[in-house]
Amino acid sequence: MTIAELIRDASEEAVGYSSDECIKCNVCLTVCPVARVTDLFPGPKYVGPQAQRFRTGRAQPVQVPGVPFALSPDVTVDYCSGCGLCTSACPAGVKIAEMNSQSRARMKAGKRPKLRDWGLGQTDLVGRVGVLFSPISNWALANRPIRAIMETTIGIHREAPFPKFGRRTLQSTWKRRQQRRGTAAVPGPERAIVYFHGCSANYYEQHVADAAIEILKRNGFETIIPEQVCCGLPLISNGIYTEARQRAHKNLDVLAPYARQGYRIIGTSTSCTHTIKAEYREMLDIHADDATVVANATWDICEFLLDLHEQGRLDTGFGRLDEDLPYHAPCQLRSHGIGLPAMELFALVPGLRAADMDHDCCGIAGTYGMKKEKYPIGMAVGAPLFDKIKASGAPEAACDSETCRWQIEKATGTRTRHPIEILLQAYRVADAAGGTKRGPLAAAGT
Amino acid sequence: MPSADVVVIGAGLAGLTAAIAAAESGARVHVLAKGHAATHWGPGGIDVAGIPAASTPRDGIRRLAGQPGHPYAFLGDDVAAALEWIRPHLAAGGLEYVGDLDTPLQLVPTSIGGTRRAAILPAGQAAALSPWAAGERLVICGIAGFKDFWPEAIAASLSRERIWEGGNRPASVIPVSVALPGLAARHNLNALEIARRFDDPAWRATAIEAMARAIASVPGSGGRVALPAVLGIREHAAVLVAVQQRLPAAPFEMPLVPPSVPGMRLYAALRAALIRAGGRVQIGEMIERVEHDGRLVTAVVSAAAARTFTVRTGALVLATGGIAGGGLVAERDGRLREPILGLPVEAPPADDWLSVDAFDPAGHPLEKAGIRTDAELRPVGADGASLFDNVRVAGSLLAGERYIRERCGDGVALTSGWRAARSLSAVPAGHAAEPGSERP
Repeated sequence: MTIAELIRDASEEAVGYSSDECIKCNVCLTVCPVARVTDLFPGPKYVGPQAQRFRTGRAQPVQVPGVPFALSPDVTVDYCSGCGLCTSACPAGVKIAEMNSQSRARMKAGKRPKLRDWGLGQTDLVGRVGVLFSPISNWALANRPIRAIMETTIGIHREAPFPKFGRRTLQSTWKRRQQRRGTAAVPGPERAIVYFHGCSANYYEQHVADAAIEILKRNGFETIIPEQVCCGLPLISNGIYTEARQRAHKNLDVLAPYARQGYRIIGTSTSCTHTIKAEYREMLDIHADDATVVANATWDICEFLLDLHEQGRLDTGFGRLDEDLPYHAPCQLRSHGIGLPAMELFALVPGLRAADMDHDCCGIAGTYGMKKEKYPIGMAVGAPLFDKIKASGAPEAACDSETCRWQIEKATGTRTRHPIEILLQAYRVADAAGGTKRGPLAAAGT
Repeated sequence: MPSADVVVIGAGLAGLTAAIAAAESGARVHVLAKGHAATHWGPGGIDVAGIPAASTPRDGIRRLAGQPGHPYAFLGDDVAAALEWIRPHLAAGGLEYVGDLDTPLQLVPTSIGGTRRAAILPAGQAAALSPWAAGERLVICGIAGFKDFWPEAIAASLSRERIWEGGNRPASVIPVSVALPGLAARHNLNALEIARRFDDPAWRATAIEAMARAIASVPGSGGRVALPAVLGIREHAAVLVAVQQRLPAAPFEMPLVPPSVPGMRLYAALRAALIRAGGRVQIGEMIERVEHDGRLVTAVVSAAAARTFTVRTGALVLATGGIAGGGLVAERDGRLREPILGLPVEAPPADDWLSVDAFDPAGHPLEKAGIRTDAELRPVGADGASLFDNVRVAGSLLAGERYIRERCGDGVALTSGWRAARSLSAVPAGHAAEPGSERP
C-alpha cells in the first residue's frame, strides 16, 4: 500500500469510524427533513451510524456465503437527500451525512449508474447541449407531453423545476467581451478575483454572474473567469465519485495557480463553493496540496462581501428598498459554518425588511427533488417554507442556491433571486437618486 | 464576520434562556452550538428542586441553597422571577406550563414504570400532578407496534406500592393497547413519527376515536389515562385539546427515551422566541478558540469549511453543559478540562470517580463537577477573583449542583441563563466595534 493510499483510507475512515461516537440519541432524526415527510427513509441514524457497523471500508461490500444480501444492509440510504442537517445537529460529532453519501457511492460502485442519475450528474454536459439548441431545448422542457415522456422513460418528474437555458454560455459571452476590450494586463490579487461561476451561471442564470461582476467592480475588484468545469457536486450526490474526482482535478489544476498567487476564488453558487471548500477533500479524498490551497482561497460571494464590510471596504451606498423579503438559507450554506452572511448584508440596505424563514430545507437538495420517485418528498419537505413565503405576500424572495431558487419559484410563484441581485438593485436605486458612494473609495476621494 | 453584543455557546435551556433575555434587552445575540442535546434528551418539564425531603419547589430551593457551594445559594431568590419571565415566551410557542414554586411536589409515574418528583410540567403532562382520589384508576394506553412504551410492563411496575414510596397512588393500574391507522405494520416506529402523524387533523381524528374506544373497553370509568408523549409537535396544543375532549379519562403524556417529543417542543418554542427577539442561532459549530484581551473576551472563533468563522463580541455566555453535554471533558489522566476557555474545573479527585455505585442515591460525585463562579456568574480562580469580566457561566456547567439527583437542572439552567443576561446588560455596551466603522 502506498502512502497516498494509506492517507486516503485514513480519511475515509475518519468519516466511517465516526460512527463509534454515536450514542444513539436520535437527535439526527429530529432534524431530518426527509424522514419528516416519508416512511421510505428510516432516518439518518438507522442508515448511517447504525448500519455502518455492517459495512466495510472496501470498495465492495463483503458477501457472506449463504446470505443473499451484501453486508451493507440498507438500500434506503439512497433516500438521503444529502442536506447535511443531521451532521450539524449531532451532539457527538458523527459525520452522518458524509457517511451516507459514501455508502451510497459504495453501493453504486462497479454498477452502471441509472441513465437518469448519470444525466442529472452531468450538469455541464446537459448545459452545453441545452444552450447549443436553446430555443428547442427550452421549448422541450416546457412541453407537457415531452415532460411526461421524460418522466416515464428516464424518471425525471414532469413537474420538476427546470430553469431556461441561456442563449449563450457565460464563458462564450465573457470571451467575446474580453476580445472586444482587447488584452489588458490582469490586475493582481488585491484588485481582482477569480470567479467560479458553476453550471447555473454559465448555462442558465447569467444575470447572477452579471450582478456579481458588477458588484465586485463597484467594490474595486476586476473579475477573472478561467475555463472551468462543473464542481462535481451533482455527481457526488448521485454516487458517481469517479467522474466527480475527474471534474475536481480539472478545476484544481486551473484554480490552484491563481490561489497560490493570492487570488481569492469567489462563487455565486453556495453549493459549488462548499464542494470546493470541503467535499473535494472530505468526500472525494483528494489530498493533494492543490485541494487545500484552493479550498482556503474559496469564498461564497456574500461571505466575501461581508468580509469586505468587516474591513470597512464595502461600498455601503445602498439605496432604499422598501419591501419585505423572505429569505431561505440553503442547506449547503449552513454546512459552510459561516452563519447567514446574506442576512447581515440585507441589514445594510435601508428600508429592506429581510426575514429568515428559518426552515430546514426547500426539498430540492440539488437534483434529489427532480427525480420521479423523490419529487413528492421534496415538495412535502418544502411545503411549510412555501406556505410561509406565500403568506408573507412579498413580491420576491431571496436564496443563495440556484436549485433552491428554482424550487421555491416553481412552488410559490414568487420570483426568487440571489441575494446579490437584491444588493445590486439597492445600489442602482442609489445611483438613480444620484447618491454618492460610501466606503473606501469615497473615503479615498474626499 | 459578524459582530455581536453577546455570544452564547450552547443551545440548551440555559443557553437559549440567556440568549432570549439578552436579545429582549436590545443586545445583538449570536448563539453557537455544536448540536442539539439537553432539550432533545429531557422530558420537557421544568424541574426546579425535586428532592425527597422537599414539599414544594420553593422548599427544595431553600434546602439546596443551604448546601455549601450550591448554585441556588446565589440564584435561589431569582428562580420565581425567571420562571414567570419564561412562561409567556413558551406560551407564545403553544406551550402552557402548569405549576409554580408552591405547587406540592408529586410523584409522577414514568414510562419505565417508575416515579419521579415534579411540580412544574407542560400542560400535556400536567394531569399527573394532582393527588389520586380514593378508588381512582390509571389506564396505561400503549400503541400497538410501538416499542418504546410497554403498557403491560409499566402497569405491572406501577401496581407495586413501593414504587409510590408507600404514599398516595392510583387504586388500580390497567394496561391497554390500541392499533392506530397505518402503524401496525411498521418497523422502527418511533415517538417522533407518531407525533408528526398526530399533527395531521384527519389522521388524529381517527386515531383519537380508536384510543377512546380502547380506553372505554377497560373495566371501570373515569380516572386518568397515561399516553406515550407523542401528541403532536407543531399542532400539540390542538391535539391536546382534542384528546382531552374525547377520551373518557383525563389524559397525560409520559416522556419517552430520546428523541424526546416534549423536549423538541420546548426547543422549538425557545428558538422561536429567540428569533422573534432578533437573535441568531447557528447549530453544528465547533468552537476552535476564544480570543481575549486580558480579562475581556473579544471574539469567538468556530470551525468552518476550509477556514474559521469569527464573531466579534462584547460578552460571552458559556452554557456548554456538563459532562454529558461536552462542556466538561475528561482526560485519561483523571483531570477534567473545560475545553472552550480552559477554565479551572472544580471536581472530585479522580480516585473517587469509580469508587461509588453509579446508582447511589446520593448521586455520582462527578455530577457536582463544574466551574466555580461568583454571584454574578463570572468564572473565578482559586482565590475567588474573576477570570473574565465579560463572561458568564450558565446551566449544568456550574459547579456544586447535582442536576440529576437533586432534579434541579432546569431551575438552575433557567435562572442562571436569565441572571447571566441581566448581569451582562449591566455591562456597558460598545465592546464590540461596529463593522465598517474603521475606515482605512
